[in-house]
Amino acid sequence: MALELPNFALLAPQIVIALAALVLMTAGAFARERWRQWNYVVAQLAVIVATLLTVFTSGDPRVQTTFGGIFLVDWITLVVQLFIYLSVFAALIYGRFYLIERGLERAEYYALVLLSLLGMQILTVANHLLLFYLGLELMSLALYALVAFDRNHALRAEAGMKYFVLGALASGLILYGLSLIYGATATLSLPEISSVAALRPGDERVFGFGLAFLVAGIAFKFGAVPFHMWVADVYHGAPTPVTLLLASAPKLAAFALAFRLLVFGFFEYAHYWQPMLMVVAVASIVLGNLAAIAQKNLKRMLAYSGISHVGFILLGLAVGVVEGNHQLALNAYSATLFYAIVYAVMSLASFGLILLMARSGFEAEWLDDVKGLNQKSPWFAAMLLITMFSLAGVPFFVGFFAKLAVLQAVVAAGYLWVAVLAVVMSLIGAFYYLRVVKLAYFDEPTERQPLIASSETRVLLSGNALALALFGLMPQGLMSLAAYAMIASL
Amino acid sequence: MDVVSFVFTLFAFFLLLGALGTVFSRNPVAAAMWLVLTFFSAGGVWLLLQAEFLALTLVLVYVGAVMVLFLFVVMMLDLNLAKLREGFWHNAPLALLVGGALAIELYLMLTSPAFHRAAAPAVAGSNTKMIGEVLYTVYAYPFEVAAMILVVAMIAAVTLTHRKRSDVRVVKPEEQIAVKASERLKVVSLPAEKE
Amino acid sequence: MTLTHYLLLAGALFVISVVGIFLNRKNLIVLLMCIELMLLAVNTNFIAFSHFLGDIHGQVFVFFILTVAAAEAGIGLAILVVLFRHRQSIHVDDLTELRG
Repeated sequence: MALELPNFALLAPQIVIALAALVLMTAGAFARERWRQWNYVVAQLAVIVATLLTVFTSGDPRVQTTFGGIFLVDWITLVVQLFIYLSVFAALIYGRFYLIERGLERAEYYALVLLSLLGMQILTVANHLLLFYLGLELMSLALYALVAFDRNHALRAEAGMKYFVLGALASGLILYGLSLIYGATATLSLPEISSVAALRPGDERVFGFGLAFLVAGIAFKFGAVPFHMWVADVYHGAPTPVTLLLASAPKLAAFALAFRLLVFGFFEYAHYWQPMLMVVAVASIVLGNLAAIAQKNLKRMLAYSGISHVGFILLGLAVGVVEGNHQLALNAYSATLFYAIVYAVMSLASFGLILLMARSGFEAEWLDDVKGLNQKSPWFAAMLLITMFSLAGVPFFVGFFAKLAVLQAVVAAGYLWVAVLAVVMSLIGAFYYLRVVKLAYFDEPTERQPLIASSETRVLLSGNALALALFGLMPQGLMSLAAYAMIASL
Repeated sequence: MDVVSFVFTLFAFFLLLGALGTVFSRNPVAAAMWLVLTFFSAGGVWLLLQAEFLALTLVLVYVGAVMVLFLFVVMMLDLNLAKLREGFWHNAPLALLVGGALAIELYLMLTSPAFHRAAAPAVAGSNTKMIGEVLYTVYAYPFEVAAMILVVAMIAAVTLTHRKRSDVRVVKPEEQIAVKASERLKVVSLPAEKE
Repeated sequence: MTLTHYLLLAGALFVISVVGIFLNRKNLIVLLMCIELMLLAVNTNFIAFSHFLGDIHGQVFVFFILTVAAAEAGIGLAILVVLFRHRQSIHVDDLTELRG
C-alpha cells in the first residue's frame, strides 16, 4: 500500500490544542506555584491560535478530506468549529474568577477543558464511524472528570457519577447501533455507508434498528426527553464554569455528530429517523418548558429550558425530508444550525450572568439570588433582561428569529400541529424567563454585596448579551452564514 | 455435532452463565469473578472467529488489568453488602418488560435473512499482522486520538483521587535543591566586643 | 456455526446487560460491570461481522473500543472513589442532594 502523506495543515488546529493540553499537564505536575497564572494564558492562547489556524488554513474549503478520507473539512466543520472555539474562549474567561476564588484554578482544569475541546474538534471533522466514537468519548470523558473536578463537595461527585453512568450507557447504545450498521454495509466509512445504504441492500429492518439505537444515543448526549434525567442534576451539581461549558460547546458538537451521521450517512433513510427525532423533539419541548416552571434553582431552570431548546434543534432536523421530497431540506437544516449557534451563545450569556453574580461562598444559583439586581447594577440587569427575552423568544431578539426559522421549516413540512404546540409551549415557557426579569427589577435584594468580577468578564459578558440584541435586529448575517454553510457542504 | 459447534456451545454457555452471575450475584467481589469468567469465555468465542490478537488482548487487558482495578476498588471501599442488595427486585417488572421486548425485537432482527451470510474464505497469515498493517497506516490518526483519550483518563484519575496528605512528614527534594544559601545561613555582623 | 449464532449470542449478552442495569440501578459498582458487559456484546458483534465479511476493519474498531473502555472504567472508578470518600457508601439512595 502506498503511503500518502496526510494534509497536516487541516490538522494544525488540533495539534495546537493537543500540544497545549500536554504542556499544561506537564506544568501541573512540575511547575512552581507562582507560575500558576500562566496556565490560563496558555489555554486561552491555544484556543486563539487554533481559531486563527482554522480560519486561515482552510481558506474556502468546498470539501477537503485527508487521512484517506476519514477526516473531512467543509463549511459546516468551519462554522460549527468557530462557534465551539468562541464558546470555550468565553467559558474560560467567565469561569476564571470563580475557579480562583475556590482554589480550583489548576493546570489540570485547563488541560481537561482543552482535551474536551479536542474531542469536539474531532466530532466536527469525522467522516468515519471510528472517529465519531473516539471524538465523542474524548469529549465526554473529559467532561465527566470536569463535573467531578471540585472534589471537596459531595454534590459534584454525585453529579459526575450520574453523568458518567448515563453517558457510558449512551455510548453503549450508539456502539450497538454502529455495529449493526457495519454488519449491514460492510464498511465503516461514512460516504461508503451512505452509498451502500442508498442501494437498500438486504433487510431494511436492520437499518431501522441500527438507526433507533443511534437516535437513542444521540438523544442521550443532547439531553433530550426521554433521556433527559441527567441534565438537571448535572447542571445543578457541576461547578458553574463547567455547567457553562456543558451547556454551550458540546451541544454544537452533538449537533455536528447528529447531522453527519443522520443526514450525511442516512439521508435515504430519513423516513426511519425523522419520526423518532420528531417524537423526541416534541416531548422535549413540552416537558422542558413545563418542568422549568417548577424550579427554584436557576441552574436547574436553565437546564430544563435547555431541554426545550434542544427540542427545537432536533425538530429542525426532523422535518428536512417530506415524503421523499428533498426540496425543503436545505431550509430546515440551515434553520437548525442557526438555532444551535444561537442557543450556544444564549447559554454563554445566561450562565455567564450567574458567574458574574457569584463570589466566594455564594453560588448565586437560586432564583432569589437574582432579586434586586437592578439596584446593584442597572447595566447588568439590562443584560439579564436581554438574555432572558432572547431565551424566551420575545420578538426582535435573536432567539425569536431562531424559533421562527425552525417553525417556518416545520410548517413548510406540513406539521402545523407541531408548530402550534411548540408556540404554545414557548408562550408557557416565557413565564419563567420573565419571572427572572421581574425578580431582578421589581424585588428588593436579599443582600447588598456589590458585584465583583474581572474587567474581561464584564466586557465580554456585555458584548455577549448585546450581540443577542444586535443579531435580533440584524439576523440576516448569521442566518446567511448558516445557510451558506449548508449549501456549500450538502 | 462437529468440534467447532461443540466448542462454540461450551464457550457460549459459560459466557452467558458468567453474564448472569455478574448481574445476579449478591456480592460485588463475586460479580467481578463472574465477569472474569465472562471475559475468558468471550475470548474463546473470539478465537473461534479467528480474532486471535483481540482475544489475547481481552484476556490480558480486561482480566489482567481492568478486573484487577475493579477488585481493588471493591476491596478498598468498605461496602455494606446488605444495603446494596436492598431494592434489587424493586425494578424487576420494568427490567423484565424492557428486557423481554428488547430480546424479542433483537431476535426478529438478528435472524433476518440479511445476516444469512456464508463465511468469508479463511484468511491465511497472521491476524496480528493484518491489524498492525492498517493500524499504523489507515488508522494512524485515530490511533493518536486514542492516545489522547488515555491521557484524559490519566489526568482525570490522578486529579480526582490524588490527595496531598498533610499529616505525614516527607522529604521534598525539589525544595531541598531549590533552597538558596541565603535562606539557610544568615551572616550577621556583630561588632567585636571590647574589653 | 453461522453468523446468526454469533449475533444471537451477542444479542443475549446485550439483553442481559440491559436487564442488569435496571436491576442494579442502586449498586454503582455492579452497574459499571454491566456497562462492561454491554461493550463486550458490541465487541462480539463487531468481530463476528468482521469475520464473516472478511474485513479486518471491524476488528480494528474493537481494538479501539477496548482501549477506550479501559480508560472509561478508570475514570468511572475514580469518580466512584471520590463519591465514596464523601458518602461512605455507593448506594444510590444515599445520593439525595440532587432532587427536584
